[in-house]
Amino acid sequence: MKKSTNMVKYLIKRILTMIPMLFTVLIITWILANAMAINPLQGEVTGWDMQIYYDEMARLGLDQPLFIQFIKYIQDFFTGNWGESYSGKFEGWLVTDIIITVLPRTLEMIVLPIFIIPIIAVKLGSISAKNRKKKKDILVRSIAVIGAGFPSFWIAILLQFLIGRVLLETTYFQFDIDILNANNVELAANVPFPDIIPPQSSLLVMVMLFFLIIGGIYLIYRGNRLKKQAQPATKKYLFMLISGILICIVGIVPIMFFINTYGTKFRLLDSIIFNEPLYFWDTIGHLLLPGLAMTFISLAAITRQTRSSMLDVLNQDYIRTARAKGVPEKVIINKHALRNALLPTSNLIIGGTASALLGSLFIERIFDYPGFGDTFFTSIISGNISLINGCVMVATIILLSSNLIADVMYTIIDPRIIYT
Amino acid sequence: MLKIEKVKEKELRRKKDKPRIISLIKFYLLPGWRVPEFSEQEYEIEKTRSKRKFFRHLLTILTITGAIIILSFIFMGIYVPWLTQYPLQNLIPPYMAPGVPYLLPSPDHLLGTTKNGFDVLARMLWGARTSLYMALIPTVIAVGGGLILGTISAYFGGKVDYVIMRIVDLIYSLPVLVIVLILTQIFGLTLLIMLSIWGSFAIAGNLRFMRSLVLQIREMLYIKAAKTGGALRLKVMFSHILPNALPPMILTFFGQIAVTMLGIAAISYLGLVNAQIPNWGQDIAWGNIYKENFLAFLIPGLSTGLFAIAAMLIGDGLRDAIDPKLKI
Repeated sequence: MKKSTNMVKYLIKRILTMIPMLFTVLIITWILANAMAINPLQGEVTGWDMQIYYDEMARLGLDQPLFIQFIKYIQDFFTGNWGESYSGKFEGWLVTDIIITVLPRTLEMIVLPIFIIPIIAVKLGSISAKNRKKKKDILVRSIAVIGAGFPSFWIAILLQFLIGRVLLETTYFQFDIDILNANNVELAANVPFPDIIPPQSSLLVMVMLFFLIIGGIYLIYRGNRLKKQAQPATKKYLFMLISGILICIVGIVPIMFFINTYGTKFRLLDSIIFNEPLYFWDTIGHLLLPGLAMTFISLAAITRQTRSSMLDVLNQDYIRTARAKGVPEKVIINKHALRNALLPTSNLIIGGTASALLGSLFIERIFDYPGFGDTFFTSIISGNISLINGCVMVATIILLSSNLIADVMYTIIDPRIIYT
Repeated sequence: MLKIEKVKEKELRRKKDKPRIISLIKFYLLPGWRVPEFSEQEYEIEKTRSKRKFFRHLLTILTITGAIIILSFIFMGIYVPWLTQYPLQNLIPPYMAPGVPYLLPSPDHLLGTTKNGFDVLARMLWGARTSLYMALIPTVIAVGGGLILGTISAYFGGKVDYVIMRIVDLIYSLPVLVIVLILTQIFGLTLLIMLSIWGSFAIAGNLRFMRSLVLQIREMLYIKAAKTGGALRLKVMFSHILPNALPPMILTFFGQIAVTMLGIAAISYLGLVNAQIPNWGQDIAWGNIYKENFLAFLIPGLSTGLFAIAAMLIGDGLRDAIDPKLKI
């Protein structure tokens, strides 16, 4: 009980310290972005007519003194108006709109690797620690060293090379799979959604009902455990029913409304909800190779870390005790050793998620995937100040929250750690 | 008679001395080897035993291969002008080599050509020279800055420590790669400036590590003894604490080399490095996989990876040698 209240206090403290950090990052990036030696309105200077350029400057407020621009930007930032994109693919869009459309694509790309990588990497690390200095260990270590040592973008291009050229030339052009190598421009857009909710959105109702049932079962289970404070059953069930309905109304109806008007922006989800199988298979085809490249790249670090911490743990006294007791080897590895070895690894897994989101820049550029990293890079190259600011803010929020999640995960994995 | 004895002694010494050098080398390199005559000098052998242990742990196959790779890259970097017939002027962008770009390997171009008809092998060799700068300058800045600032913040504590750690927190919360990209747009594409920016951002991680080390060492007895002996603060810091924290930092030095190589290769792949200097990242960007000569893409990537892997292998070997308890 005491620990949980401490945890809440700690969380509030951490979140409050995040705010000044974000503010300083905002100021620093604004200054840096404005100091860049690129004119954001290069594209407007066409021919001899400079009036268009000056009009555009006046409309965006770029002709005013810098400190006034800064104050105005800060004012607008906290009211939710993050400025508008000056040039490029999203010219004239609001920055928040751009981020909302672009971030889900990257999340979609890294969501599979994020779930697969830790499972494979921890397994590989424990295997190689178990048979130290044997063939398996050497194989795993060499894979890990290759993944950690070679540049990530090179590995991604190598995958493209293997599938796009070597496979073609060795099979006499039988396996011509365009979809794996780059994005088709026509299908890269969002899924078109109709005005009326299609019948497929009953899926959401099903999900809603599922959660309601699970929650009800959990509540009954907890209620049975607390036998001392026995309440009348009818009252309990009534409370459960009312709370469930309230949760549905408060939580899910706005989401439904949002999906109906904007779509979820996740192409896989959208294509399921709005019943577009073509889009679904197309997206999966485009996500295969980037996902594979991402898995291979971030596999290496976690495998190395797991192996080293497992080797440390396997020499401890309690492992010897467990072996002496006659505990089977599988249980020792999976339960006694792995749980203690996971503590340094968990930090890497969560940090790896954040760095995968930001490091997706190279993979997006190589596979022509119009995601967050690609937008980020093009905004820097074209000097798109407001877009740079918005993207850096989103990136810092992701980094800071991932650090926070890592610290909270420590207490779950190792109950001895208590924050004050 | 006396003279004859002296001469005999001298001859004996010479006879002993000559095999001593060879046997010493054998003693260091071959595990388990012993000279029977040395049993008289058992005491001196005890002194060298720790050195021998160090060498025995160091000289594994992986470490030796890493050292050979790194040494060969250093050799390439130093003797490039004598290794290729192509001067540097013929390998950088304004120059257009006669002939078709992306040619397959031929006796004239042993590994074919890339964009603008530049020779792949020559660019790879000249790239080895730049990659030495690219690996060393940021790493020296990062590790050196981490050493000095880490000792200062841990030893002084208080306000100094608070300010330094807040700056480190700020750098940790920034997406560093993107900030470096923005800074390259401000300061231009000069290689040296880019390298120093990268190095100064990498200080943060080393600083944290060094601070934790110094906080451990500060509580040792010999530091207290030095303080009670009346040593100056700076002397305690730099002649008592720093040397004892050095071995782990040397290990991070090699790890850092691999990381910086990859990071700077990434930045130069994006085209944000001066194109007048041949570097492997630029070569990877130029090597189009759908053109005829795929070696133009394979070779620079392989050499970047080998450089980084060799640095990592040496770091791992040194870690085993310095601290055999750690098993990685």
